[in-house]
Amino acid sequence: MTAATGPRASARLLPLPPGLSVAARQLSGVKILIPFVGLVGVWWAIYAVGEFPERVLVSPARVWDTLVVLFSHGVLAEYISTSMSMIGIATAMSLAIGVPIGFLVGSNRYAARGLEAFLRYLQGVSGIAWLPLVIIWFGFTHTTTLAVVIYTLIVPIIFNTMIGVRAVPEHYALALRSLGASRMRLITDVYLPGALPSIVVGLRLGMGYGWRALIAAEMLVRQGGLGDLIFGARTSGQIDRIIGGMILIGALYIIVDRLLVQPLENLTIARWGVLRK
Amino acid sequence: MRLLIGPDARRFISGVLLIGVILFGQQVYGMATASGRLDPSLRGATVPTNVVVVLDFMPERFHNERVAEYGTFAGRDGALNRLRLRFVSPDNLRALSKVTWIARIEPFK
Amino acid sequence: MSVETATAVRPTRHALGRLVWRLVPAAPFLIVLLIWIVLWDVFRPSQETLPSVRDVVLAISDLAASGQLAQNVTASLVRLVLGSLLGIVTGVAAGFVVGLNRNVAEILSPLVVFFNAISGIVWLPLMITWIGIGTALAVFLIWNTVFFIVFQNTVLGVQLVPEVLEQGVRALGASRTETLRSVTLPGALPYILTGIRSGLGFGWRALIAAELVGAASGLGTMIFDAAEYHRSDIIISGCLIIGTIAIIMDRWLLLPIEKRTVQRWGLVSDAEARR
Repeated sequence: MTAATGPRASARLLPLPPGLSVAARQLSGVKILIPFVGLVGVWWAIYAVGEFPERVLVSPARVWDTLVVLFSHGVLAEYISTSMSMIGIATAMSLAIGVPIGFLVGSNRYAARGLEAFLRYLQGVSGIAWLPLVIIWFGFTHTTTLAVVIYTLIVPIIFNTMIGVRAVPEHYALALRSLGASRMRLITDVYLPGALPSIVVGLRLGMGYGWRALIAAEMLVRQGGLGDLIFGARTSGQIDRIIGGMILIGALYIIVDRLLVQPLENLTIARWGVLRK
Repeated sequence: MRLLIGPDARRFISGVLLIGVILFGQQVYGMATASGRLDPSLRGATVPTNVVVVLDFMPERFHNERVAEYGTFAGRDGALNRLRLRFVSPDNLRALSKVTWIARIEPFK
Repeated sequence: MSVETATAVRPTRHALGRLVWRLVPAAPFLIVLLIWIVLWDVFRPSQETLPSVRDVVLAISDLAASGQLAQNVTASLVRLVLGSLLGIVTGVAAGFVVGLNRNVAEILSPLVVFFNAISGIVWLPLMITWIGIGTALAVFLIWNTVFFIVFQNTVLGVQLVPEVLEQGVRALGASRTETLRSVTLPGALPYILTGIRSGLGFGWRALIAAELVGAASGLGTMIFDAAEYHRSDIIISGCLIIGTIAIIMDRWLLLPIEKRTVQRWGLVSDAEARR
């Protein structure tokens, strides 16, 4: 979040979706690692003091070794690759399907209201609840995982596309219309840019939910991916892998969110945010 | 556009690069070191060959499965980290040589 | 901008228009129902691929009659309440501590981001190893989910209370506690309530996921067990019930609480701004 201004935090008055960091001055650069160093220190201390059996807790060094070994054996590259391609494909498809739907429905007041309740209901039934049924349909395959993740991702995208479309002040469209713009031009020059900030916010939200749904789905479908890795390691009691996998899951999400999606969000808002109500 | 060189754009680009390295780094490394893996006698093979895939470590089920995709798995060659593969096509042989975690590919005696 | 403003209530003059406005949210549900019936009539899929509407209705009534439904719903809800209470209490407490202290917030921020990234089901394998399958596991996962959401919203709420107000009250002689109680808490309350409402929604979803992967009772387990026997009618019943409970909980329990509590205290909240 941005630096504090008058009050203690940034004056960001939008209802904050869960998942965004605390509104505090961010530590920059290397200083960001200090809290983690502290955390590892605490971990090491707990490990050293307690007499934990190997299947309960291992040292940070051991987790590091395991990760290095798994990497050199090619296991990590493949599992990470599987998870990331899943989220990537799901994101692309959710955008391709969700944005047009959001546009179509968002432009009509009645349709928007109609869809809203339905989407909320679907959101209440988490994608994972449908997993057993989807497994019956598509088996233990990547299709199943993809279906569930898309389901999870697409709802916030549709929601936010609808909001974005409805937020575009009518006089922009009317102005262009009076100059003779076609329907298509209206969409590309007014509604799409106008809705884009909201869409990207929805995308960011959706990817947060989607990543978690992906891990959960991978735990059940067991066709590779980080969820499979940590769930499988549980059966063989390999705590080093479980912890290592968890760290990777968190780190990868943060990399994608902070280095890809958040900059995209900022750029979109900076460029087109002026059309926001 | 000024936006293209701002902090967000820089972050985005570094993000893309980082993800690229994470996803493809090992593959690229494997391709770069491919020639070192294949036994000289196997280079330029034009017919399906029988080989022994040698690993530097004790393979897990994961590795056995991956290796078996390139030919017909025919058991161990003495040690657990030496896997016999029959009828490996030239294409598959080339592909195998690019796998980072394979130490050597030897001809099957 | 919140979602509801996308479909803000539009006063229409005609009774018919108002009626249509009220009923239109039901449309997608009816459409889906129609498609379901038609698909089933035309393709006659096997029971396990797509049970008929009648099958599902029968399944629900069977579950209700045998008491299984009540049992599983109760088990799930109990876990939700336990985990959520813990999550709310710890979240608000931690939120205040961190929100009031800028240095602490700054130092902890990266850690919060990281643990938030792995909140919920990612802890499942580790926790199964440490505390085994069962209610403790589910409660932990819910606590984890709810805590981070409530925590972050509380921190935000606390930080957004204009310092000017607090300083003003302090200048008039109020103690630290009084300031907290009379200025900070009401000021942060809308955000806290949003966080609670959000957290419970997510907690419910996390609960189902947790039960699906590892639990002994509850709705998630019911679905999972049904899958083993390829009872798609029970699976669908379970999903529908999960969604219904989520809606009931959110719209008829939490939203009114949020609105009424904030109304009483004369604050403007999201809920207010929407309606």
